[in-house]
Amino acid sequence: MNDGFKYRAPTSRAELFGLLAAHGEGAKILAGGTDLLVDIRSGLVRPELVINLKKVEDFPELVWSQSQGLIIGPATTVNDVLHDPKVRDCYPLLAECALSIASHQLRNRATVIGNIVHASPGADMAPGLLCLGARVQIASQRGRRELFLKDFFTGVKRTVLGHDEIVESITVPAGTARSRGSYRKLKRIDGHDLSLVGVALTNTDGDVRVGIGSAAPTPLLIEGLTDQDPADAVVAAARAAIRPISDLRCSKEYREYMIEVFVRRLLEEVR
Amino acid sequence: MSESTLPPAAAHVGDDVQRVDDAAKLTGGAMYASDLVFAGMLYAQVKKSPHARAKILAINTSKAKNLPGVHAVLTGKELDYRIGLYVVDKDVLAKDVVRHFGEAVAAVAAESLDIACRAVDLIDVEYEVLPPVLNQLDALDENSPLVHPDLGSYDYVKASFSPQPGTNIPNLTKIRKGDIDAGFAEAKWIVEREYTNPSVQHVPLETHVAIVEWKAGDEVTIWSSAQSPFTLRDLFCRAFKLPHNKVRVVIPHVGGAFGGKAGIHLEPLLACLSRKAGGRPVKFQATREEEFSLLPCRSALTYKIKTGVGADGRITAQKLLMYWDSGAYADYAVNVTRASAYSAGGPYDIPNAWVDAYTIYTNKPWGTAYRGFGHVEFFWGLERHMELVAEVIGMDPLEFRKKNLLKPGSTTLTGERINEHTGNPLKCLEAAASAINYGRLTPEEQERQARTGRRIGKGIATLHKAPAMPSFTSTAAVIKMNSDGSVVVNIALTEIGQGTATVVTQMAADRLRFPVSRVKVAVERDTDKDPFDWQTVASKGLLLTGNAVIAACDDLLRQAYLDAAQVLRAQTVDLDHDGEKIFVKQRPEESVTFAALSIGYVYPNGNGIGGPLIGLGRYTAQGLTSLDKETGQGLPALDWTYGAHGVIAEVDPETGEYTVIKIASAFDVGKVINPGTMRGQCIGGMIQGLGTAECESYIYDDQGHLLNPSLTDNKILTAKDLPEEIECIAVETPQLDGPFGARGVGEHPMISVAPALANAIHDATGAELTHMPVRSEDVWRAIHNRLPVDTWVTKAPAV
Ligand SMILES: Cc1cc2nc3c(=O)[nH]c(=O)nc-3n(C[C@H](O)[C@H](O)[C@H](O)COP(=O)(O)OP(=O)(O)OC[C@H]3O[C@@H](n4cnc5c(N)ncnc54)[C@H](O)[C@@H]3O)c2cc1C
Repeated sequence: MNDGFKYRAPTSRAELFGLLAAHGEGAKILAGGTDLLVDIRSGLVRPELVINLKKVEDFPELVWSQSQGLIIGPATTVNDVLHDPKVRDCYPLLAECALSIASHQLRNRATVIGNIVHASPGADMAPGLLCLGARVQIASQRGRRELFLKDFFTGVKRTVLGHDEIVESITVPAGTARSRGSYRKLKRIDGHDLSLVGVALTNTDGDVRVGIGSAAPTPLLIEGLTDQDPADAVVAAARAAIRPISDLRCSKEYREYMIEVFVRRLLEEVR
Repeated sequence: MSESTLPPAAAHVGDDVQRVDDAAKLTGGAMYASDLVFAGMLYAQVKKSPHARAKILAINTSKAKNLPGVHAVLTGKELDYRIGLYVVDKDVLAKDVVRHFGEAVAAVAAESLDIACRAVDLIDVEYEVLPPVLNQLDALDENSPLVHPDLGSYDYVKASFSPQPGTNIPNLTKIRKGDIDAGFAEAKWIVEREYTNPSVQHVPLETHVAIVEWKAGDEVTIWSSAQSPFTLRDLFCRAFKLPHNKVRVVIPHVGGAFGGKAGIHLEPLLACLSRKAGGRPVKFQATREEEFSLLPCRSALTYKIKTGVGADGRITAQKLLMYWDSGAYADYAVNVTRASAYSAGGPYDIPNAWVDAYTIYTNKPWGTAYRGFGHVEFFWGLERHMELVAEVIGMDPLEFRKKNLLKPGSTTLTGERINEHTGNPLKCLEAAASAINYGRLTPEEQERQARTGRRIGKGIATLHKAPAMPSFTSTAAVIKMNSDGSVVVNIALTEIGQGTATVVTQMAADRLRFPVSRVKVAVERDTDKDPFDWQTVASKGLLLTGNAVIAACDDLLRQAYLDAAQVLRAQTVDLDHDGEKIFVKQRPEESVTFAALSIGYVYPNGNGIGGPLIGLGRYTAQGLTSLDKETGQGLPALDWTYGAHGVIAEVDPETGEYTVIKIASAFDVGKVINPGTMRGQCIGGMIQGLGTAECESYIYDDQGHLLNPSLTDNKILTAKDLPEEIECIAVETPQLDGPFGARGVGEHPMISVAPALANAIHDATGAELTHMPVRSEDVWRAIHNRLPVDTWVTKAPAV
């Protein structure tokens, strides 16, 4: 049970950053709330202050340009990405990842950035964004910094983000637009379910990348492969990277097996 | 002069009449127990055990008591009441020991939910953790700890159950038919195998909710989401030694129940809290997580089947051993055991049979009634077994089943003789098989297989079930005419989504020859106002209540005819009626309307005669008997509804992933009262069956902690998981004592869905599945590690 928390909805970045700096660890950002509220209800998170960032006026929104690629803002929902014609055209893989998340109702609230910041090993937006070379723009009162998404995760539900920092945007470079590739998610039911394993694989002008979820403490990216590599080599690279566990959703052996099957099938599709 | 406007017989029965509760439910207007709020109402919360088995050393409630806004705090020590349906084994709150994870050990009532939650957090319980008994087969070991060392001193229903003191067995039901040894001696093949099911949760949309008010003078009112108001009242009064007329149970709309709301649950605890809080009403609604372990589940089962088959493919003998995991309390599990025992062989003619069905206590959340009442669980094993036996003897599984089906002249396991009115399992099986083009792939299916690389398989399974109820189960209906000639029907069968209100409306309308718009079935159930019904369970409602409603209509008409005979100066034999009026047959213009008779007829001079027209109908199950405790022989079945499913599944042979392309289900319902409500039951049951087949399961660690007490990891199916095609087929062999020839079909659609699916997967891939649920990983494992067939054939013809 929670002992109650305060709620604020700042309208400017300065106000938001000020609140974060002042409250530190006790403050929690609320985007769609589909992870945060679940964690508060179960007692996993006990914030003193919940800060809704969707009222901040000067945040980036979902836009695409040839020069900057795709920009995803803090209030961009999974459904925004799913239904955006530009995303569907340039990054169909992202739309596919988006569609695999929960249900329509959930996707209306859930944000892409929330999915990434929550940093679940099975976050469904991660494998696709990793393959497409996404970067994360981080901001706070102290200023801005940027890093590759693959360097953002540090452990199960852990990231490089400081308590006073937010993710201001995630960008996907124009260079990976129209990469060929797809996402496979193993679930227990066809309706909404978390991934038992999730594999994305892209071919960008011969450069093959594999993103894998629910197979290690963080989502994984495997780079440095080409579409000329034999399937066994690609599978071996994936095998070397993953560290799946057995849990009540699935056994380690089945996870390993299914990742291999997905990698082989996806590779076949993009050759 | 108008022609006689008599409507044709059965003007509404058989019609797709719209559900009478549609508008209220679709617009959110329907009132449920969770919607109710009373002045001065308090909110209860429960302190739950984090251990499966432990001694309670101390409970410190002082901090909780001192929290402002808290009005009552209770622990088991101060409550000396025991509850139990058939074996009285459960304290209102755990006393000296806890027997399962999630068990209630203390409770509070406070002015708000928030305060109640905080108060519960402030209660400290000191435990001495003990090793739990988790597997029901281990619990049979003579060195196993006893979940209930005092079993021998508990009260129980002696006519039906046989607890074994000094063991973990609250009931053992035996059935003996023919000569089992001779039957096996005659057999050419003997096939022996074990099948298992885990516990699962009902997951009604509306979680359990109740409000109880215990006022001065011991006047108790209970508002609850319960299925069975009168059984709830009876069990409550027995626990508290209160007369029935002191306790009133009210049931508004119920948001799904599926057996989980039969019997009695948190009402006694709320009553004690209300009494302690000076009579203020106390409300509790379970969270989804609490549904999984504070409230009961469906029992797990291990089913060992040994079948002897003769050279001609006929079953010669069957030994059936059922091990039901009741969890910590006997509740309905003992009766699930009994009902499953007498149905254990399925709709087959088995000349020599031996059934031992054990209910076994373990340290897990307890099992209760769940749609199918044991049949979903044991038909999993039985109909998988039939498939595997057919494979061993080299006969097509459909042929093998047909050869062994019950037919007129066969006797059931308890010695009941089947006749041509009992229903037709063969027609059901043939209809389901033909609806899926059993035994071959159509050109489209072949093309689909080639295109997808997946393998298509087809499977069938049969089922039967009779209501599990006391031999003397009875019900009543009251029909009251309003002064405009419309009527209100009062019954105590609750509307829990199954469509009772709609079909009762249709039957009453037809019997009265009224339009359905003039018939209303009251929504709310109230033990102070409604006539008795035993329970809303067992798929017995349509038959028993239907007959009572028909009798009530006849009683109302009889009174109306008597009054009309006076008014019209005729004898009742001279009269007939239509939807509006009673008239003289020979001269229809001499008539009197129902409205004019409804509350007493008034002559032009002001004289009155007659009085309010109220019909009463009763019905009691006819001719049923208790079962002999040593042989199980007797007549337990009000009616047998037979059925069959056919499933077309598509399996990825590499990964074990599969989808259901089609499911076709056929049931011999005697007479379809309403095709829409029947289809609703069929689809709902089939999906629920598919859910338990595909993914649902309680998962525990080795200390008995439930690891998946929510829908995050206890998946149920969603709209996206529907088969591509669903076909529901009605077979109509009239039940001679059923209303309009009908029998029940509420539970049946859920039964045998799982084996039909697994048989289809088996057909596609050879996967020998013996455990539910069938997740893709299980299929993958079964495909890759097939057990050699000869490990479970214990006798085969010499070659
Ligand atoms: C029923 C259900 C089904 C689900 N199914 C799936 C699924 O299939 N696949 C899947 O991947 N996930 C699933 N989820 C998880 C969840 O919906 C997603 O992770 C979602 O994208 C989270 O986004 P949100 O906006 O709701 O995050 P929130 O709950 O608002 O935030 C999540 C976390 O990120 C932080 N945060 C959010 N935005 C920022 C920001 N801009 N800067 C810094 N910190 C931030 C919050 O403080 C919080 O810690 C499911 C959840 C539920 C309840």
